[in-house]
Order: sequence, then structure tokens, then C-alpha cells
Amino acid sequence: MKSSLNKVVRIAALLGLVASAYPVAAHHATTMFDHAKVVTINGVVKEVHWTNPHVGIYVDVAGKDGAEAALWVIEMTSPGNLVRAGGWTRNSVKPGDKVEISMAPLRDGKKGGALKKVTIADSGKVLTADIRAQERANLEQEAPAK
Amino acid sequence: MNMKRTLTVVLAVVGLAASVSFAQTKPAEKPVVNPAPTAKDWADIGKLPDWSGVWNPNITDQDKQHVTNPPPWNAKAAARIQFQQAELKAGRPTPLFVNCLPEGHPSWMMISHNALEFLITPGRVTMLGESDGGRLRRVYTDGRGHPPDPDPTFHGHSIGKWEGNVLVIDTIAVLPQVYIAPSEAHGIPNGGDMHTQERIWVEKDVMHVYMKITAPHVLTKPYETTRYYFRQRARKFDIVEGVCSEGYFAPRLDKDGFHVFVPQPHDVGGNRIPPK
Repeated sequence: MKSSLNKVVRIAALLGLVASAYPVAAHHATTMFDHAKVVTINGVVKEVHWTNPHVGIYVDVAGKDGAEAALWVIEMTSPGNLVRAGGWTRNSVKPGDKVEISMAPLRDGKKGGALKKVTIADSGKVLTADIRAQERANLEQEAPAK
Repeated sequence: MNMKRTLTVVLAVVGLAASVSFAQTKPAEKPVVNPAPTAKDWADIGKLPDWSGVWNPNITDQDKQHVTNPPPWNAKAAARIQFQQAELKAGRPTPLFVNCLPEGHPSWMMISHNALEFLITPGRVTMLGESDGGRLRRVYTDGRGHPPDPDPTFHGHSIGKWEGNVLVIDTIAVLPQVYIAPSEAHGIPNGGDMHTQERIWVEKDVMHVYMKITAPHVLTKPYETTRYYFRQRARKFDIVEGVCSEGYFAPRLDKDGFHVFVPQPHDVGGNRIPPK
């Protein structure tokens, strides 16, 4: 099954980090995702659920090298947090987009994970979801005109 | 016939007595009303601190305090927290808030990952939060006290007063099921009889929310903590509607082409279940 992925699971230099250090969920801790691993998939976006408390992206990953095709679900934080911290809009990722997504995979082996980064193939745009990037006052305020 | 006449007389007497009794009943007390604000009341709002803007939490500090400043749990609660910690480490975080009920007070102020805002009007401060639809606190600053027997709610009954630039809030009547949660995977139902005292102020666009939480059924002594929020004025930070339960549905078209929501299966941890 691993061969169905364009990039295989690899152990990242993230061992030891606690779940709370990840920005995925507004309403629950995230240790159901294995933050010591990174899975990268390439596929085509099927649906985007731009909803609270967590946005979800469904991605069709084609079968390859004899492996079955699969539909993956990638979870992330809330729409409001994505807009503020990640520069997202609800149309940043659209059905039909070819994407590369890296994620912390579900520990139970199901085809899901917590998003770390998405790259949109056509535009090359990269989006993340680090809500801790908001942790200072007066972000993005323009300097007063002189 | 005689019996019927007798019954009629008895009923008449009873009715007369009842009407006399009613007439002698003490008149109902005049209802307490909330007076319409005056122009001066509105003008006085301008003298209060400026808490406009959107305030997002210092989540890194929340994480830090989970380790460095845990609540003083009693033995029973501490055992539960220890179990939750083991579950967290095992990749099974306790799903405290995945049912979309409000996080409630004081957990909202302690561990929210979402922004909040304040509406200051005559006699009241209203706190509005993002993400779950019920995230709202009403703090009455009109001088009233707590009702003698308020209905318990997720955020309790709050009264407040301004001491200079500090809003002092006193809250009781929080539902016993509402968690005191130092993290999204650690929390103990407060058990009832909880009382919180807060002092909220702003320094250099950082809001300080000091809380003293007294919960005799689960804490050995009052828990004191200060949480921090950052002011944002960039319009992209404006709070948007957030209905938590929407995430439990998927948008679809029904057989007639109408837009509808259909249930979306989730696992116990609150995540959408990947299709097989």
C-alpha cells in the first residue's frame, strides 16, 4: 500500500513533540495522528468541507504499481483560523485541483491525517495551517502613512 | 333535587369565599425592569477601556501552563487526569469537546484556540466567541447581584464591575457537567458549586484574563491562572460564524436537486472517517 503513495512514509525529525504543538483541531487533541511521521500524497481534490470546527479535504489518490486507488481525508483547523494564520480562503483549494499534501497520518492506518502542508500543482502555491503564527498583536496592520 | 340545590349552594359559597380570598391577596410585586439606556449611559461607555477588535489566544502559553500550572486537583480528579494523560500518550486523546456542546466556563477562557470579541453596552459586557455556536457570555455590569437560585448554564451567571481599567467578574451557576479543562484532552467536570472570579485588563494590546476558580468538589484549593489574548484589527481577523455541528454533516444535493446536509460519519476522536 505504501507504494501507492508517490512518496513513502518517512520518520521526520519531529519525535518528541507533543500533540498540543500541532494546529489541527480546535476542539480536540491530536494524538490520534502520528506526529512522528509524515505521509505525502499526490492526488486530485474531490471535495473541500469548509466547516467548523475543522476543515476537511477529500483527495483521490490514483492506484499505482498494483495498489488500489483510495480516497483520503485530511483534517485541519477551523475556517477562521485558516484565514488568519494560513492565508487561506474557502477557494484556496478547490475540487479538481491537483495537489501534493503532507500530513501526520492517523495512527490506525486509515487513509486520513492532519495537514501539514498542501502544494497546488498548477500554481505552485503552498499553504500551511499553523495557528500559532497568530501569537502577537496587531498582525498585518499597515504602518501609518507618513 | 334537594341534593342538587344543596350542591349549588355549596358551590356558590365556595366561589364567594374564593373571590374574597383573591381580593385580599397581596398585590404582585412590581416587576424589576431593565431601564432603557440614556444618552449619558452611552456617553459613559466612551470612558471605559477600548476593548474593540478581535482577540486571539496565546495557545503556546496554554500548552505551557498545562505543564507548569496545573489545577490543584483532589485525589479523585487527579486520578482521572492521570488516566487521560496515559490515553493521550497512547494516541487516544479523551474526546472532551467533540460533541459540539460549548466548552463552557472557565474552559473557554483557558484553552480556546479561537478568537473572541467584546461588546460593551450600558450595563453589560457581552463576550462572543468563535467556533461553537453557543460560545457567548453575558456579564451584567448594571449593579445587580446574582439571582438567589439561577438556572445552571454552560457559562453560568456573571455580574461585573469596572475598577478603573479592570473588569471584575463574578460567576456562579455553571452546570456541574462543564469541564475545568487545562487542555483539550484533559478535563474534569466541575461538579457544581463552582465560583469563579476574574479580572480582565489590557496592556499594550494584550488582554490579561486572571481567573480564580473555586470548585470544592474537584479542587483542593482555588486555582489561579492568567490567560492571554492578542488584539487584532486587520479586517481578515473579523470573527465569522462558526457552527460546530456543521462539521458533522456534508453538503449534498437531494433527489430533487435541493441543497441539503447529510450526516458525515466521524470517529470517536472527532475526525471524519476516511472512506474505505
